[in-house]
Amino acid sequence: MSKVAIITDTNSGLMPKDGEALGITVIPTPFMIDGVEYLEGVTLTQEEFFKKLADGADVSTSQPSPGALLELWDKLLKEYDEIVYIPLSSGLSSSCQTATMLAMDDYEGKVFVVNNQRISVTMRQSVLDAIELRDKGMSGKEIKDKLEAVKFESSIYIMLDTLYYLKKGGRITPAAAALGTLLKLKPVLQIQGEKLDAFAKARTANQGKNIMINAMLADIENRYGGLDAKDFHLAGAYSYDLDKAMEFKSEVEAAIPGCEMHMDPLSLVVSCHIGPGALAIACSKKIHV
Amino acid sequence: MSNTINATQVKKMFLAGASNLNAKKEWINELNVFPVPDGDTGTNMTMTIMSAAKDVQNLSDDVDMATLCKNIYSGAMRGARGNSGVILSQLLRGFTKGCRDYQELDAQIIAASFEKAVETAYKAVMKPKEGTILTVAKGASEKATELAKEGVTDLGPFFEEIINYADEVLAKTPEMLPVLKQAGVVDSGGQGLVQVLKGAADQFLGKEVDYSIDEAAATPVSKVQVSAEAEVDIKFGYCTEFIVLLNKPLNVKQEIDFKAFLESIGDSIVMVADDEICKVHVHSNDPGLAIQRALMYGQLSNMKIDNMRMEHREKLFHEQSNGEYAEIDAEINGAAEATPTYNREDDIPLKNGSSSKEEEIPSEHKEMGFVAVCAGNGLADIFRGLGVDYVIEGGQTMNPSTADIFDAAMKVNADTVFVLPNNKNIILAANQAQAMMEDNDESKKIVVIPTKTVPQGITAAINFIPDVSVEDNEEAMKEAISTVKTGEVTYAVRDTVIDDVTIKQGDYMGIGDSGIMGVGSDIEDVTEMMLEKIADDSTELISLYYGSDIKEEEANEFCDRISSRFPTCDVEVQYGGQPIYYYIVSAE
Repeated sequence: MSKVAIITDTNSGLMPKDGEALGITVIPTPFMIDGVEYLEGVTLTQEEFFKKLADGADVSTSQPSPGALLELWDKLLKEYDEIVYIPLSSGLSSSCQTATMLAMDDYEGKVFVVNNQRISVTMRQSVLDAIELRDKGMSGKEIKDKLEAVKFESSIYIMLDTLYYLKKGGRITPAAAALGTLLKLKPVLQIQGEKLDAFAKARTANQGKNIMINAMLADIENRYGGLDAKDFHLAGAYSYDLDKAMEFKSEVEAAIPGCEMHMDPLSLVVSCHIGPGALAIACSKKIHV
Repeated sequence: MSNTINATQVKKMFLAGASNLNAKKEWINELNVFPVPDGDTGTNMTMTIMSAAKDVQNLSDDVDMATLCKNIYSGAMRGARGNSGVILSQLLRGFTKGCRDYQELDAQIIAASFEKAVETAYKAVMKPKEGTILTVAKGASEKATELAKEGVTDLGPFFEEIINYADEVLAKTPEMLPVLKQAGVVDSGGQGLVQVLKGAADQFLGKEVDYSIDEAAATPVSKVQVSAEAEVDIKFGYCTEFIVLLNKPLNVKQEIDFKAFLESIGDSIVMVADDEICKVHVHSNDPGLAIQRALMYGQLSNMKIDNMRMEHREKLFHEQSNGEYAEIDAEINGAAEATPTYNREDDIPLKNGSSSKEEEIPSEHKEMGFVAVCAGNGLADIFRGLGVDYVIEGGQTMNPSTADIFDAAMKVNADTVFVLPNNKNIILAANQAQAMMEDNDESKKIVVIPTKTVPQGITAAINFIPDVSVEDNEEAMKEAISTVKTGEVTYAVRDTVIDDVTIKQGDYMGIGDSGIMGVGSDIEDVTEMMLEKIADDSTELISLYYGSDIKEEEANEFCDRISSRFPTCDVEVQYGGQPIYYYIVSAE
């Protein structure tokens, strides 16, 4: 049985120290804020980040540098036979593409880059699934295939508190950009696989939360085998406002009975595009070995 | 006397009925229970029947019954506006269905046609209410059936008895609808119907009836409310009306361009075109521009230009005996500045189609689109911002007709067009447009979301989700509109008592979803009073849409006041620009 290492990045919501506990490696996402480079979860905390964002700092994100990635691979390959690398969704970043390219030639058969369109809590679930699959003795290729086979079987709905950051950033489709209107609205966005897109809009937070819960109930019914089958993972995410998030968690758990919702802060790559005060609900289908 | 009538006589009687209604319309308007300066029953019914009368008048005297009937009902259906107008059009549709197959009508056939009329009209209304035009129609029909059964054949007494009985039923409407009783009036729609019947019967009986048709009545003209406008600036000074005898029918683009051009030079625009003529009404400061542009499409006729500032002044002169002329003079002089004067012909800004303010008609085909009805450029912008494809100017003062809604839906390049009437008096006309679309066998479908107020319409539009099916959207939007509570603040046009509240002419009143929510002499106090009744513990957001008579600073100050009054709610203020309603508010 080959020894498989698992690598992911902080867009999964897992931080480098979480990685140590799980026996995997988590690459911190680099940020440039007002010209200074920070590493998510290492030299930059959530609080610091949102404070800088609110102060109008110039924030840009980048992908892990190819050099550092190769260095990590080389280091791990001394100890492991194979690597499964689960980067941020290829629809939202080019990390996946870069890694796929790097994994050709020299690393063929050794490094398996998973392109399964996940982010945040659904990406976290993929990482946990990968660990489980590895522990069951699957090879790197088998893990990659297994994860990619269900790449469209996840959905995320995010309600934004403000349109400001979305407009400022660029990582949205024209449909979402058209959401800007005269009225103050709470847009609800969706991530189905590839891209962040507009889903619906609400006037108030409660309306928005209901839209998300109803959309998720519909997805569970139509795509995840129904509520009773319990064949899905439910999760939530938020940016900055923990109290609001905990309130939402209990509302969701009341509306979707029998499910415990894991709640994570949204990764900073997402947060810098949607700003503070956002809430999200996510669902992905369980993996069966 | 005679026992039958032929098509020629029916034609004359119909025109006489229409003409009598037209003559009495102002009086019928006075019967409206709510003293709001609103889409008036008399005006709506008149415009509905006149639309048919116009068609009927052009028929030759030896017309056959089927053609006459077709013209009566199709004209009325297209022109139908307002609830009573739509019901009247349905009555005419049913009646003509009952008699179109005969060349001579006797008492039996007429009684059967009455029955058909009532049956059709009741079907058109979802929750028929007694004490309304429907009850009066039913009374007339029952009497006709009874007389016919008794063997009455002489149409003279037959008609007279029907009308007497209809009058009796009308007199009883206050007993059936408490709201009428309290206001001390009979039902206005019922009165309208009685006037149509009376005009027709008078014609038959040889009484003198002027059944020439006043064409203007068939076309909406927004009236200047003198009492209310005394303190209002008249932004555009000349009321201009004319008919273009089209060289060739306008295509959709020309129609949109022309309308956009008119919008760029003024307001209160009404533009109605068929294949041969285009009727234009616009308030602007330079009537010449409208005329010059119109000449591109054909010759002009029936031209009429009034200086509204002068008229306004005259009216004020008569009304204010203590007359403060200085201000009025200033208003007129100020207007002169607003009116461009040209020294040379070259200075006249020649506009072309490219100047058109886009009435966003997307060329890209989509599955679902939207038509919304509203008055006020601010509200129109809000609706467009929410993705509404076509906004029909109208609402409070002017209810769009079935045909207006139908045509608007046709212009939207989508398989399904959701219509947001945003006024309870427009929902029926919208439903009728939906039925017309079905009959038309177009590949297109209209779905009416029965929004009774502008905030309901906004909520519906917000809740639209492009990714889900028409049915799911319809359901979601209908459900969403029940979550928003609305109030509107306007002024009373006369004294009345509603819901045990005494209202004096000139008072401000707040009207909520379930009736009067506040009356007083201060707009803001009344609005706050109303909000206290509308908002509750679960309210998260209060929206204020201020009208054309409220200044931005006033609205912002008022918004602050409401914010401190309701500290747990978000309060949002938006420019609506609507006439007549100072504030439209919502709580959700």
